[in-house]
Amino acid sequence: MYHYNKKGLKRGVAVYSYSAEYGVSKNLEDLFAELYDMGAHGIEILANTHIDGYPYPSDEWVENWERLCDKYEVEPAEYGHWIDSHALKGRELTTEESVEMLKRDIRLAHRLGFHVMRTKMPVINEKLEPVTNWREIIKGALPLAEQLDMKMCPEIHNPSNLKGGMVKEYVDFIRETGTKNFGLNIDFSVFRTKFDEGEWRDPQFTPNKPEDLIPLLPYIYCCHAKFIRMNDQFEETTIPYPEIIKVLQENGWDGYLLSEYEGTDKYDDFYEVGQTLRKHHILLKNLIGD
Amino acid sequence: MDRQVIQSTGFHNIKDSTGKITGFTFRVRLPYYRGVYLSQLRPGTLFVDGEKFTKDEITWVFGGEEYTNEEMAEDYKTHWCPTQTAELRVAKEGGLAQGFHDLKYGFSFESSYMPPFLESDEALDPDRESPVFMPEFGHHVNERRLLIV
Repeated sequence: MYHYNKKGLKRGVAVYSYSAEYGVSKNLEDLFAELYDMGAHGIEILANTHIDGYPYPSDEWVENWERLCDKYEVEPAEYGHWIDSHALKGRELTTEESVEMLKRDIRLAHRLGFHVMRTKMPVINEKLEPVTNWREIIKGALPLAEQLDMKMCPEIHNPSNLKGGMVKEYVDFIRETGTKNFGLNIDFSVFRTKFDEGEWRDPQFTPNKPEDLIPLLPYIYCCHAKFIRMNDQFEETTIPYPEIIKVLQENGWDGYLLSEYEGTDKYDDFYEVGQTLRKHHILLKNLIGD
Repeated sequence: MDRQVIQSTGFHNIKDSTGKITGFTFRVRLPYYRGVYLSQLRPGTLFVDGEKFTKDEITWVFGGEEYTNEEMAEDYKTHWCPTQTAELRVAKEGGLAQGFHDLKYGFSFESSYMPPFLESDEALDPDRESPVFMPEFGHHVNERRLLIV
């Protein structure tokens, strides 16, 4: 299957961005064709969205997936999935049941050629903290993740802070276990410095500085290159992109920057998120030089 | 699929093996950006021209398998992919008359990662809108006027 043989920063797309169009006016191959237009070589899918027949896709579906990766020169960069421990109304899933759900996703991600997963854990409070047994769930799946060379990465997203308690707990877990199969996905919303007048801003949120990334870099296996506003000069006006890219490059980070657009205007009639993503890829291409 | 949740394709009366009309069926798509397990669904009430059908009078069909409301509530392993429509079957002797019908149907779903105030029974009431409207979660209640031939 296709492999993009380059070290350093690479451009990719989280095809979640197409949520308003996928299944209605665009199919999976259309999304690959979009990436090819942009010269992006990595894809993040959402397992529950983009895999027909999830969690048990047919062999034909998997063969088609491999064909698309080859044809459009795209490699599997990140497998987005959820540990849905709250799926039953009456009770939370047991640790064992959650581990089984997680292991099933690890096997499927491996079958599709992924090595990095965006692992979303159920939330228990307004601070978006994960279920209290998250360590046991992750530990239960670590041997399989190690065997299949898979890295499970919770996403760190606004209003969380890179210097906050949740990140510290994740880093402590990585240090205590010494694992290479659990890490972080940093969403660039944590660096957002500008909000429109009257726009809602989470009172818990304090923006990070790009250099706050440095101590975490050994544990970061993927980034969500979140963008909020792109102007027609191909600048992002709310997040300090040039500084973030510089920190990543100067410290030799190797991995995918996955463009992710979650502005709700993408649900407006005739909105074309593909054009918004292309603007962002002009910015990334200019900064990365690839 | 149509962008609307209630689909234009799939709305017709149902016949049994003797040709007798026993009810009607219609299709919905999932307005969420990701798929859900059947136990995450919260089916609600259907109104056809004002006539009420409770969740217990409606069965859901996914990939040829038919599920009651109770069966779905226990099933956290069968997954509804958002590229597939679900078929809803409603028993009604004689079915629906030829002509226009106003359909109004509510369903919602638990999402496991939202803050608890958006996951409460009240917030997930399928027959009322969520306290916060999020386009990528869609509306709980959807309406459409469609023809029976």
